[in-house]
Amino acid sequence: MSFEIPENLYYTESHEWVDPETGKIGITDYAQDELGDIVFVEFPGVGDHLETDDELGVVESIKAVSDIYSPVSGEVTAVNEALEGEPELLNDDPYGEGWLVELDLDSTDEVESLLTPEEYESQL
Amino acid sequence: MSGSPYAPNTETDTSEMLDAVGVSDVEALFDIPEPVRFDGDFDIESRSEPAVLNMVSDMLGNNDDLTEFLGRGYYDHYVPSVVDRLSLRSEFLTSYTQYQPEVTQGFLQALFEYQSILVELTGLPVANASMYDAASGLAEAALLASRIRDADGTDVLVPEYVREERVSVLENYVAGHDINVKRVGTADGTLDIDALTAAVDEDTLMVYAESPTTRGTIEEHLAEIGEIAHENDAMFAVASDPVAMSILEAPGDLGADVVVGDAVLGMPNAYGMGLGIFATRDDYLRHVPGRLIGIGEDQDGKRAFTLTLQTREQHIRRERATSNICTNQAWVALRTAIHAASLGPDGLVDLAEQMVELPRDLAAQLDALPGIEAPVHDRHHFREFVARTEAPASEIAADLEDEGFAVQAVDDHELQFTVTETNEHAVDDLLAAVEEVVA
Repeated sequence: MSFEIPENLYYTESHEWVDPETGKIGITDYAQDELGDIVFVEFPGVGDHLETDDELGVVESIKAVSDIYSPVSGEVTAVNEALEGEPELLNDDPYGEGWLVELDLDSTDEVESLLTPEEYESQL
Repeated sequence: MSGSPYAPNTETDTSEMLDAVGVSDVEALFDIPEPVRFDGDFDIESRSEPAVLNMVSDMLGNNDDLTEFLGRGYYDHYVPSVVDRLSLRSEFLTSYTQYQPEVTQGFLQALFEYQSILVELTGLPVANASMYDAASGLAEAALLASRIRDADGTDVLVPEYVREERVSVLENYVAGHDINVKRVGTADGTLDIDALTAAVDEDTLMVYAESPTTRGTIEEHLAEIGEIAHENDAMFAVASDPVAMSILEAPGDLGADVVVGDAVLGMPNAYGMGLGIFATRDDYLRHVPGRLIGIGEDQDGKRAFTLTLQTREQHIRRERATSNICTNQAWVALRTAIHAASLGPDGLVDLAEQMVELPRDLAAQLDALPGIEAPVHDRHHFREFVARTEAPASEIAADLEDEGFAVQAVDDHELQFTVTETNEHAVDDLLAAVEEVVA
């Protein structure tokens, strides 16, 4: 089975993605598939400041509860409230409508230490 | 020696089993360190069943048979015989709570009914299937407050009227969390609004109030207290009980975010056992401690009851669970539900009205006696009230005990009297005894 891994994003070993252009963060196609049907997402507060590896939220599926960690540091500027009513968006479109939070990144350099699409694919 | 129904193995059985596993004696099956071993003699001789019954009856006969007018959190209400009749059925009285939906729809439905009764009485949309008691419910409310984002701070404000045992449980429970318990003064038996306003600030995490209070007063300012809490981004928790809530305005309608307290119904008043109620708002659903029973559908589309939202619980979420209460007092909750259902809404209201009238009448009769004033607080009361005595209260309580009555001295010159349908028949005798003792 092959998973979608967009070229313009950076990745973590724990299956989060970050878009350096928009500051948006989510979980990967592989992660949503592993979790199964998502039923609930818990967000940080808008205005919270997150350090790298801080807990960013919780994703709950019918199989498991997973903590999501922030791949980079920054201030939370938005959370994807659409997921509160339609958590399945995360399964259907993990890189689009299923984004989790948007950060105002402390520094755009931080993503350099994350995995490239090729590196992420090779660890799957 | 032959076995008995309670210890069926004979000596022959035992030695055969020991031979089979290759062990010389029963001791060799255990590896208990010397320092924790009891090597004395329990000094128990075996006796026949009737002999044991007689012995225990004789022993219990040494108890003083006092008529109790005690309360302060533990109340005696008449438990209808239907509660025993149904709850003692073997489908219900099991050694471990039955939660498997495949085999226990009846019990799950009863727990769902229990939750539904509490939802109706508290005015809040979510109730769990019970906590241990009112004190652990209060402590869990404080932890809930620390988990939700719209309450921030570290201080839990608790009125002076709350009895020490409850506060002690709260303090023990939140130790290790960044939570401090602070007391707020009272005015004439209810929370002092000025003192609360002075005490509340941005560090306030939760404000707690009781109605009825430990001193029996009805807290008249719940809505105001809730507003003060919410203005400071603090959660508002209220303790009450199903009988009181049958007649008082629902705490949820007055701004309470969480309602805790003791179920009171369903159990005889013994050994300080309680059943904690816990209800809260929809927004906090995923932060609720304890078990939740929900309605779903089975594969044939039929209504079915099941545990729900278990991802909050420690068997799924381990150390990050909302609380470490994984089981609860489901059988007691069942009894509470049967008791409440057998009274019905009208019966509950009738009982609650009695709980207003009985203490009012007793207080007025005590007040007419010399040497005692009642009630101390110029408030509405529920089940109980505090009276002021000229003589030291502890001496009066001791003299009343000699006369066959248990009444609690709560301060140097304060006695607390609790009266319900179970002891009202003894009110005249109590009054005669008080008159004699105080004179």
